[in-house]
Amino acid sequence: MKNNIRIYLVGAKTALASRMAYRGDFFMSMLIMLLVEMAAPVITILIYQNGATFPGWNMYEALLIQGVFLLGKGIAYPFFFGIVWNTIERVQNGTFDLLLIKPKSVLFMAIVTGFDAEDLGKLVGGVTLFTLALSRLPAPEPGAWLQFMVLFTITLMVMFGYGLVLAGLGIVWIGNFRVYEIFESITSFGLYPTAIFSKSLQTIITLVIPVAILGSVPATVLLGRPSPGTLGAVGVSLLFLLFSLGFWRWMLKKYTSVGG
Amino acid sequence: MGRRTKIGKKIGYWFGVLKATAFSTYKEWAAYRSQMAISIFVGPVFFLIQLFIWRAVYATRTTLNGLTLEQMLTYYGIVAVIGYLTYDSADWDLQWLIRNGSFLTYMLRPVSYCFLAFAQKIGHRLLALWVEIIPVGLLFLFVFKIRLVPAEPGWALFSLGLSFVLVFLTNYCIGITAFWLTKTEGIRRAFLTLRNLSAGMLIPLNFFPAWMQKLLFYLPFQFITYVPTRVFIGHYELAGISLSIPRVVGLQVVATLVMLVVARLLWACGIKRFTGVGA
Repeated sequence: MKNNIRIYLVGAKTALASRMAYRGDFFMSMLIMLLVEMAAPVITILIYQNGATFPGWNMYEALLIQGVFLLGKGIAYPFFFGIVWNTIERVQNGTFDLLLIKPKSVLFMAIVTGFDAEDLGKLVGGVTLFTLALSRLPAPEPGAWLQFMVLFTITLMVMFGYGLVLAGLGIVWIGNFRVYEIFESITSFGLYPTAIFSKSLQTIITLVIPVAILGSVPATVLLGRPSPGTLGAVGVSLLFLLFSLGFWRWMLKKYTSVGG
Repeated sequence: MGRRTKIGKKIGYWFGVLKATAFSTYKEWAAYRSQMAISIFVGPVFFLIQLFIWRAVYATRTTLNGLTLEQMLTYYGIVAVIGYLTYDSADWDLQWLIRNGSFLTYMLRPVSYCFLAFAQKIGHRLLALWVEIIPVGLLFLFVFKIRLVPAEPGWALFSLGLSFVLVFLTNYCIGITAFWLTKTEGIRRAFLTLRNLSAGMLIPLNFFPAWMQKLLFYLPFQFITYVPTRVFIGHYELAGISLSIPRVVGLQVVATLVMLVVARLLWACGIKRFTGVGA
């Protein structure tokens, strides 16, 4: 474990050093990563400022959901979600083979070499929005914080699962960076209160595809009114993680090493 | 008469170059059509989210900022289609060529890079027309009942054409900055973010506070998406200013010409810095 952490830190350090070769571009990209993620909160704020609402939700409650979502993304993207672009890029130019011959698991090496420093901007954005929204709402009970921590850990596990699925797709769908768009579109449902969606869609994003767990499920616990189906969402999330691990292994077996 | 023939020949030559480049780009990208076809999934899914957001918002009212629910959904439908129609990657392509030095090969050709890149965009978007734009349009029509029929087809088409050129020119300018910056990912993303927000791609511009609407009125970004969308709807209004469709399209022509001059100036300054070494 200690050795793995050391390897991960070396990978992160190397990625940061190589990105720093274009320092100006790096800092600008980091800032932009922060701003890009603010699209949904900006829309929410503008809706409320124009006198409209999401029925049953005040502006800060809605922003808290988005804050939790962005916080999850802010942790996932720099630290382990880089597995997606790293796999797609390496499979396309044929350097994925280099990971296969290392004396560590391919998955671990894909994470280590996929550290994405500029996505730390997303983390800054997530922390800022989460803190801002929470500061305008009644302070949650310690028990609520505990439940939130458990659910948020599952949020990160689900993010990891999505990363595995997308990276797995990148092995067979050569050079297709648009898989990110598929992910963004599906998970965008997690940016808003589930109550605004139809009943059938609520069931799908809570109990079939783990999307509500990325934002509204953990956020509602902090608000003291847990979402219906929270336990089911947890179960589905764990199943999803198992599925994604299996999917990654399956795709890995399909790797042909020919580039594209 | 002889002079006319000469001009005609020249136009014929350029048209031939444009046609050949567009056709080869079309064929090249046809190999990746499955990537393009992802829009058939992504576009309607994003639209579905907008549908639920605005249905919830309109649950307690019939109009918001002068728009009914139907008009709001039509707005997002048009924005999506304009986005697909005008998309290009001139910014990324140019910075990549400059960074790895292969731009050198384009300087040896008897055709300007700008013209070539524009012809490539035409080929790319012609492929997109049947792979993503028409299918997405049909999905909007049959699944979401959004009729994308312009109020004044002639003006809408002209405005869309100008938007097509304007997106190319602005992206091209971003690509040119690679002569100074080498890697332009940051400025490219910054510009895209600013553009999407200021062009009304995320939310209609009349949702912004009054002071910001006034600012946006004087910025060129509105001519990329907001103006063609409002021309499509048949009514333009921003910052409390209503303009007739011919007038606003006229302003769009001016914005396009200004952008053309800016692109030329930037190019003239930037090309002097090219060393052919890459970075």
